[in-house]
Amino acid sequence: MSKPRADWEQVGDRFYRKTQLYTSVFDPDLELENHVVTGAPYSGAVAVYRDESKIFSHRGAQTTKPTIDIYSCAGKLIRQIAWDRGTIKAVGWSEDERLLVVTDDGNVRSYADLQGEFTPFSLGQGAEERGVQACKFWSTGFAALLGDNSIVAVTRYDEPRPQLLASAPHGEIVAWSVLPPEYTSSRSVEVLLAIDKTVYVVDASECEDRGLEAGPFRHIGISPNGKFIALYTDDSKVWVISSDFQARLSEYDSKVKTPPKDLQWCGNNAVVLAWEDELHLIGPNGAASKSYYDSFMHLLPDIDGIRVLTNDVCEFLQKVPDPTEEVFRLGSTSPSSVLLDALDHLERKSPKADDNIQLIRTSLDEAVDTCVRAAGQEYSIHWQKQLLKAASFGKSVLDLYNSDDFVDMTEALRVLNAVRFYEVGIPVSYEQYIRLTPERLVQRLVNRHEYLLALKVSEYLNLPVDRIYVHWAGQKVRSTSTNEDGICDEIVRKLNGKRGISFEEVARAAYDEGRRDLAIELLEHEPRAGKQVPLLLSVGEETIALDKAIESGDTDLVFYVLLTLKKKIPLSNFFRTINSRSVATAIVESSAIDQDQELLKDLYYQDDRRGDGSNLLVTEALSASDLGPATDKLKMAAKLLRDSKEYATQVTALEEAQKLLRFQEAFEKDLNDRFIGLSVNQTMSKLIDKGHMKRAAKVQTEFKVNDKVYWWTKLRALVRKRDLRELEEMSKIRKSPIGWEPFYNEILGAGKTELAALFIPKCTTLTMAERIEMWMKCGKVAKAGEEALKAKDRGALEDLRKQASGNAMLDIDRMISQLQKGR
Amino acid sequence: MAAHSAGKAINTQDITDKARRDLLLLLESVRGKKNLVIERALAGTIGLFVKFSTLQEYGVDKLFFLENHNVDSSQRNIIFLVRGEKAKQVQTVAEQIRLVRSESKIDHDFAVIWVPRRTLVSNLILEEHGVLGEANITELAMQFVPLGHDLLSLELEDSFNDLTLRKDPTPIFASAKALMLLQKQYGLFPRILGKGDNARKLADLLQRMRSEEDVNASSDPNNSYLTSFGLTPSTVVENLIIIDREVDFPTILATQLTYEGLLDEVFGVANNTVEVDSSVLGGAPAPQQQQTATPTTTPTTATKRKVPLDSTDKLFPEIRDANFASIGPLLNKTARRLQSDQQNIHNLDQPLSDLKSFVQKLPSYQAEQASLKIHTSLAEEITKFTKSDTFRRTLEVEQNLLIGSEGSTTHEIVEELIARDMPLQTVLRLLCLESCLSNGIRQRELEHFKRMIVQAYGYQHLITLANLEKAGLLIPRESHRGYLNPISGSAGQTATDWNAVRNGLHLWIDEVEESEPNDIAYAFSGYAPLSVRLVQAVLQKSYLQNLVSPPRSGAPPSTLTGTGWRGFEDVLARIKGATVDVVQRGHDADVSHARSVLRGSKEGPRTSIVFFLGGVTFAEVAALRFMSGEIEKASGRKLVIATTGMVSGKRGVEGMVEKRGFGG
Repeated sequence: MSKPRADWEQVGDRFYRKTQLYTSVFDPDLELENHVVTGAPYSGAVAVYRDESKIFSHRGAQTTKPTIDIYSCAGKLIRQIAWDRGTIKAVGWSEDERLLVVTDDGNVRSYADLQGEFTPFSLGQGAEERGVQACKFWSTGFAALLGDNSIVAVTRYDEPRPQLLASAPHGEIVAWSVLPPEYTSSRSVEVLLAIDKTVYVVDASECEDRGLEAGPFRHIGISPNGKFIALYTDDSKVWVISSDFQARLSEYDSKVKTPPKDLQWCGNNAVVLAWEDELHLIGPNGAASKSYYDSFMHLLPDIDGIRVLTNDVCEFLQKVPDPTEEVFRLGSTSPSSVLLDALDHLERKSPKADDNIQLIRTSLDEAVDTCVRAAGQEYSIHWQKQLLKAASFGKSVLDLYNSDDFVDMTEALRVLNAVRFYEVGIPVSYEQYIRLTPERLVQRLVNRHEYLLALKVSEYLNLPVDRIYVHWAGQKVRSTSTNEDGICDEIVRKLNGKRGISFEEVARAAYDEGRRDLAIELLEHEPRAGKQVPLLLSVGEETIALDKAIESGDTDLVFYVLLTLKKKIPLSNFFRTINSRSVATAIVESSAIDQDQELLKDLYYQDDRRGDGSNLLVTEALSASDLGPATDKLKMAAKLLRDSKEYATQVTALEEAQKLLRFQEAFEKDLNDRFIGLSVNQTMSKLIDKGHMKRAAKVQTEFKVNDKVYWWTKLRALVRKRDLRELEEMSKIRKSPIGWEPFYNEILGAGKTELAALFIPKCTTLTMAERIEMWMKCGKVAKAGEEALKAKDRGALEDLRKQASGNAMLDIDRMISQLQKGR
Repeated sequence: MAAHSAGKAINTQDITDKARRDLLLLLESVRGKKNLVIERALAGTIGLFVKFSTLQEYGVDKLFFLENHNVDSSQRNIIFLVRGEKAKQVQTVAEQIRLVRSESKIDHDFAVIWVPRRTLVSNLILEEHGVLGEANITELAMQFVPLGHDLLSLELEDSFNDLTLRKDPTPIFASAKALMLLQKQYGLFPRILGKGDNARKLADLLQRMRSEEDVNASSDPNNSYLTSFGLTPSTVVENLIIIDREVDFPTILATQLTYEGLLDEVFGVANNTVEVDSSVLGGAPAPQQQQTATPTTTPTTATKRKVPLDSTDKLFPEIRDANFASIGPLLNKTARRLQSDQQNIHNLDQPLSDLKSFVQKLPSYQAEQASLKIHTSLAEEITKFTKSDTFRRTLEVEQNLLIGSEGSTTHEIVEELIARDMPLQTVLRLLCLESCLSNGIRQRELEHFKRMIVQAYGYQHLITLANLEKAGLLIPRESHRGYLNPISGSAGQTATDWNAVRNGLHLWIDEVEESEPNDIAYAFSGYAPLSVRLVQAVLQKSYLQNLVSPPRSGAPPSTLTGTGWRGFEDVLARIKGATVDVVQRGHDADVSHARSVLRGSKEGPRTSIVFFLGGVTFAEVAALRFMSGEIEKASGRKLVIATTGMVSGKRGVEGMVEKRGFGG
């Protein structure tokens, strides 16, 4: 077994290692130098397409049709996308392995999940006019450089919205790069442009010159954590500076005349320069090492290292991880290293094993931890096993040790080894695996149609498996051409009883394949009513869709279906459909009130809901600004109801309303005052107020206003008007339909005690005590006394005496004595 | 107070924090200065958890209300914050965007934040207006907003009208979503109880959503896989009690008699603030507390002032739920205490250490003093109202109706109120109350009143009356409706037999102690709200049982036990609407079992959530808080109140009133 140090190389005081992942990657005939190669993050798939700008030898007909080929890292062709449209300017990946192809006229195709289907979007008119020059991608978006140095950025793919960044100065852009939004202080994407001798930083709102003078810079590279920037100067130097342009960290002189083909970061602490077949690895402080390849190579940067791809080999170049270095470094005396040595002795049954353990006794737990972590960083299964065995050995000596990390690591390694297998070809590192998360790794396996492995991994890690089944079913629907029932049965049989299966997705796949009946059949099994709706709409089963939407309880969905339905079918059918569904009717009604009254009118007519229809006309009358149309609407409203008996009172009211408007119109003309808009009572009140008693009385008789109401209105109006004379007149009337107490109260409220007192004797229904109080409120103690005297209530008189003074007191005294006499 | 510890079970502060965080994050995602356009109804809600100054820190330059097309183009970034459920609002947003785009010279960046979710319909409408691609669309999943530590509200302004008048089930769906969120956080509600047809719908929806949640959780790629393991019964929440507003209209129609309730009746409380004429407050200084998100551009007339009513106030939490009759003494007591404190400071020979501690207390002391001033002036203003002749007469009618005495004077008083041109909603409230309590008003009498109303207040109120009838608030009595008809059976009870229920749940207490309450009836000075009695039927069984049929002297008081509705099934059957009783179990019986073993028998889930579908009044909240205190004392249980929004008879009836008049 080869030593784990075999592929290490020292650069400065650090070690870097080059792990050979796969050999014989590509067909030797594939001229990599004439192709553009880009790799998805986290050791994902590799897209290869011919670089149109390079000359290549003609090789017969088959090469004339351009394609974008997607390979695994091991060189297995996953998918071939025929390209038929425009010149490709850039191809890139998002972190969820979505392939993006940008053409020179600003059209973007987004291929999700390594499939051949795409969703297109455009970068906008600017891009079409000025042409796309180049694109830079980051994990969730990309920036496109247009012909006139303007930049368009897209920050999400689920709903791409191209955003024009602040305009950059003119001049040739020598190199450029993007700083993803998650690493900028402004939370918006920043673009670095090398123009002339300096670098400009452009974001959504401004463009700032960083004032460098050592340009032009041939390359700009930003480290994966966004903290550092590497610049390649014209005099063949590499500078590393902090991304806020404040600190200059290191410098390296490559001494090569031609600028390198590519500059990339290898993790966060080394920069790689690549010429055709020469590679410089520059560590911190300008230390460097060089290596040479047999053929043309491509760099595929990742978060923790860089993949180097040539025709026959795929290598992973990275800084030797700390635990690995600790265990394996030459002459290492670290506890973990001693522990590994102890294992060696143990396997050879040498007693020195125990000596070793005793030696590191105090830091044994730390040694075990390190071995476990180092195991994760190993690609060789042999060394993984050795390290885990060492850890296990060390663990057995410890009294107390939490084995969770150990167990997790064994699980992770099993998964990693499985997916690294060349037929799968995902050489994901431990670091990448943690960042990618197991769920998304499973998703990648599913995208590669590795269903069995995906299932096994999910079951092993206790992940949900429904996505895998759904994807499988979708694929099944696409690829099988046997009869519909057969497929449906098979799918249902396989998926039945599994939790959380979304049949809707499978059905959609079937629908996209043009298998409508199969789609409907599959949709039947979808547990979520709401999810069935969109597809049902697209297959044209609107009424079922409506029922499902109602079932889901989501009114938004119901409304959506209704809107779609209304556009699609004749109005009468529409009404018939909603008629039997009360929820649907309610939603149509409540939305139509604000938006579409005509629709509502039709609806009421169709359903013979006269009351509602008439009310609708009344609202229209209310919104009419002129009297004419308002009266017309009221007339129509009344007419609608006239035939049916149950609305008789309503009809009367509507007719009265018209009559009132007529009256008011006449009053306005005669009296030159505003009346329209008032109610019957208010009209009477205003008429009385203005002294038109006759007219008021006419209104009363015409509208058959209740006597009580009329009297109240009159009373209040007169009091408001302070028409004391008229009120006094009224006191002479023998009977009042509202009694006389209100007169007293209202007039007293207006502060006219004399007048109020006039009404007290008329309040015959009240008790003596109440009347006494009324007198008192008017300040008429003597009258109150008389009241008490009449009732022969001595107690009341004595109470009054206490409150009285002056003459009144004398009066009361007189009354008391009178009362005594009378006895 | 009891409710304080209830807050721990369901942490309302978390909800506030999350909503604030989410909103600010969304604002932050738009770079640079921005103008914020907000739906008027939402502004108050947002103001509950974000101050305007905070919004400014996050780059908000100006605030506009979404109306009148008043958005200006002073900033490049324009953000709309609007509820996405109502098509009308969405339409307005679309029109605004179009307008600004066509009128402004700058190239604007639009962002729309839909609350609480982005809807299909909103997409459709924006697309129709050709602005879908123009705006960056996000959503703010704001659902429950805490109005207090034990009170959660969806703050859906129209929920009452939506449910009763338009029969639009949107609030039910929104409630279900919000309750699902609580379930995700605290576990399945082990038991769902409820009364009313809409309560039934909500319970059904909750169960449906639960089964769909499995699929949702697993098909959402962003979801971490742990949440997809199905919900297990909660260890915190004991049950959910859903009270459908339609079951209990009378309670909202009756005048609330607690302090906060009367504040609501007189001034109207919205989003924990009350707006009053500054003349009412007199010289009371403005509290230097938060300036809520009041748009600067809208001219809040100088004469109006906003008074925040929440637990940050020194005095308010103590007095909010008290019956108004006891407010005077309470305020008096505080005033005396403050006065004696004040005298202390005049005592010049204090040692320095005492002085120091006093100075430290000074700010809170001043705040208290300010608060006292405000509440005294408010209480004074309310007293003016409660002393008025109309109030007295209305209350008289109300109480007669609630007691169930068929007073002949009732109609006379109502007629008089109409003739005297008293506010329409006062009259309507009384009529509705009568209609609700006696399952309609006799046809002939109803016609008579209708005629009087349209003559007195205008013919446009034909629509108002139609609305009330549609909502079931003011209906003609029909011989074939409800319990009078033996054929209709008990399954679909369409009307409540109020006489039976009044006795069966003891809805009227003759001797009510207003200052030292001994029963929830204190909140209405005698009337015990049906809604709260229903909650008591679940949580305070023996108390209620003893109240309904007092034990004969000597006999031990009844100790009715059991869960759910047990013991009160008969009464419930006489109330209209479906009765809900659902037990929710986890998928994994083992897990539940293991949990219950771990928990032991002693410590069970102890919090009940009472959900009012269609709104709750402040008086009911006060009654429930009183009850919560009682059960906490007795058994350590807690109560959290949740609702679609605050409601009152005034607001409820006002929503039905046609506002326009003839002649423009």
